[in-house]
Amino acid sequence: MNKLLAAMLLFLAPVAFAGDVLHIYNWNNYIAPETLARFKEQCRCRVAYDTYGSNDELLAKLAAGAKGYDLLVPSGNAVESLLKQQALQAIDKKLLTNLKNINPSFLNSSFDRGNVYSIPYAYTTTLIGYNEDKIRQLGIPVNTWAAIFDPIYLAPMKGRVTVLDDQRELMAAALKYLGYSVNDGDEAHWRQAADVIMKAKPYWAAFMNTGYIRLLSTGDIWLVHGYSNDMFQANDAAIKAGKGIRISYTAPREGAVLALDSMVIHKDAPRADLAHQFINFMLEGRNAAELTNLTGSGSPNLDAMQYIRAGIVRNEGIFPGKQVLDKLEQLQDLDRRKRRLLSRLWTEIKLSP
Amino acid sequence: MNRFLQRSLLSGPPLLYLLVFFLLPTLIMVVVSFGWPGEQGGLAPLWLRDAQGFHLDLTLDNYADFVSTTLYLRLLAKSFWYAVLTTLICLVMAYPLAMLIAKSDKRHRNLMVLLVILPFWSNFLIRVYAWMIILGPQAGLSQALNGVLALFGWGPVSLLFSPFAVLVGLVYVHLPFMILPLYANLEKHDPGLMDAARDLGANRWQCFWRVTFPLSLPGVLAGSALVFIPALGAFAVPDILGGTGGIMIGNVIKMQFLEARDWPFGSTLSIVLTLFALGVTGIAAWLVRRRGGSYV
Repeated sequence: MNKLLAAMLLFLAPVAFAGDVLHIYNWNNYIAPETLARFKEQCRCRVAYDTYGSNDELLAKLAAGAKGYDLLVPSGNAVESLLKQQALQAIDKKLLTNLKNINPSFLNSSFDRGNVYSIPYAYTTTLIGYNEDKIRQLGIPVNTWAAIFDPIYLAPMKGRVTVLDDQRELMAAALKYLGYSVNDGDEAHWRQAADVIMKAKPYWAAFMNTGYIRLLSTGDIWLVHGYSNDMFQANDAAIKAGKGIRISYTAPREGAVLALDSMVIHKDAPRADLAHQFINFMLEGRNAAELTNLTGSGSPNLDAMQYIRAGIVRNEGIFPGKQVLDKLEQLQDLDRRKRRLLSRLWTEIKLSP
Repeated sequence: MNRFLQRSLLSGPPLLYLLVFFLLPTLIMVVVSFGWPGEQGGLAPLWLRDAQGFHLDLTLDNYADFVSTTLYLRLLAKSFWYAVLTTLICLVMAYPLAMLIAKSDKRHRNLMVLLVILPFWSNFLIRVYAWMIILGPQAGLSQALNGVLALFGWGPVSLLFSPFAVLVGLVYVHLPFMILPLYANLEKHDPGLMDAARDLGANRWQCFWRVTFPLSLPGVLAGSALVFIPALGAFAVPDILGGTGGIMIGNVIKMQFLEARDWPFGSTLSIVLTLFALGVTGIAAWLVRRRGGSYV
């Protein structure tokens, strides 16, 4: 009998240990493996790590009833939506000794005044990336959205341009091109933006969210509308391929979208304590720097700057200067009527010849 | 009684399965298609509470939005033509192959059937992505084709990101679903029928057209339904291979549940698609039955 009990205890022991699990739901490729390994060591817990490819995927999964996540890393508009659903819990800042490392200009965003629920993790900008030699040869200006919308510039690049397959991002670029805010809600302005997109569409090769990283690095595609961290990856891939293709990226002078991804804790988080530990851990300069060095995302962490490779710090595409930063805007969440209207416009855009 | 018990035991589990995982979800979707979208996605509550107590809060708005523009009908028509073309191409390609397998030596048949289903061993998405490379501008196929076109002084064409690529992908993915039911049917044909037809003076063409083909109509119908219906709702293939023009109704339905977070409208589109698919297959079955007479 005793032996049986002992055997049962042996079976139970690892289960008790497995109880210390932090469930993280983060973007694809958005943490350095060594950072995660160090965190597990420090907190003496396991981490169940799930990933998503877009804010929509995250929101759709939670809306469909996914449970058990402690920590999420949504962009501003998704934080806004989660807050409206009352799906988040307030963060106990007394536990965040490293919060002072965050650059104040990334605090107090409109979606969460006072950062009651969200702590900045990293940011990306949506901009124009291009094959340096090809674009210089063709003499196309890359500091304006005209590069992806004006048929005059597009004609010599026909079939060599891709844009994001993302309703909000592409509309935001078109709205900026027309001189409106990315959050302009006027239906007439949306119409105008959709017309701009439909006029340019015949010249584009495809709508693409990740595929352009490879195509840009191989030289198949010359100019893309995409995310700054993806351009960083594309440049890396081009250097590794060694075919002499050079990739650059700049934020257009009209302004662009800034996506600030923040750490938030789910209302029903089973382990809010571990989530707080993780947030504080990621606020350490060294850990935040590893993220930027690996992925090329911008860091809101002032203490991280000393650990980030010099080439990245100097890259204006990743760390935009003050002038550009002032023109970047974060997307705001849309209400249900606007979402349906946008999806109809998007269907029209996709179906147009 | 014993017999009844036996029957219900055998047919009960699959019936229950279909009831719970097909009929019930479909009914839920019908209800949702008359609901309001939730402010942050999902579904708004179906019941409202006011002074008169609880009452249902349903709407025809979603269907009104569907018919308020020709957009969604044009989309449905486009998807329909893609599905019809896919079905026809699959039929033309699968028929000779199924016949070849059915007529070959018994020892080889199983191997050949195995080869037909072999692609299923690898993931569907990986196989579609492979076409992205095969049809890509740097690949041999594009280079060769454009080389030939250049000889005639024609400009280069892009195979990838075109309706052609979508069609290639759809045919590739669905071909086995046409071959297998056709083979299952053709294999059962009595070879004596051919002898009889020939004895009565039919040539090979007549043998096929007046004996084999009519007898195979149930297989043709089953294969066509298995290809047409999933092709009509396809979304991954047009997404990956279609480029800027690659959109079918399946993509727009997916969009409602992801980007738009609009379950009611997504459900409305799904219901319309289901009814449309049922209608088309119903008409097709009726036409075949009328022409095929007693064979089907």
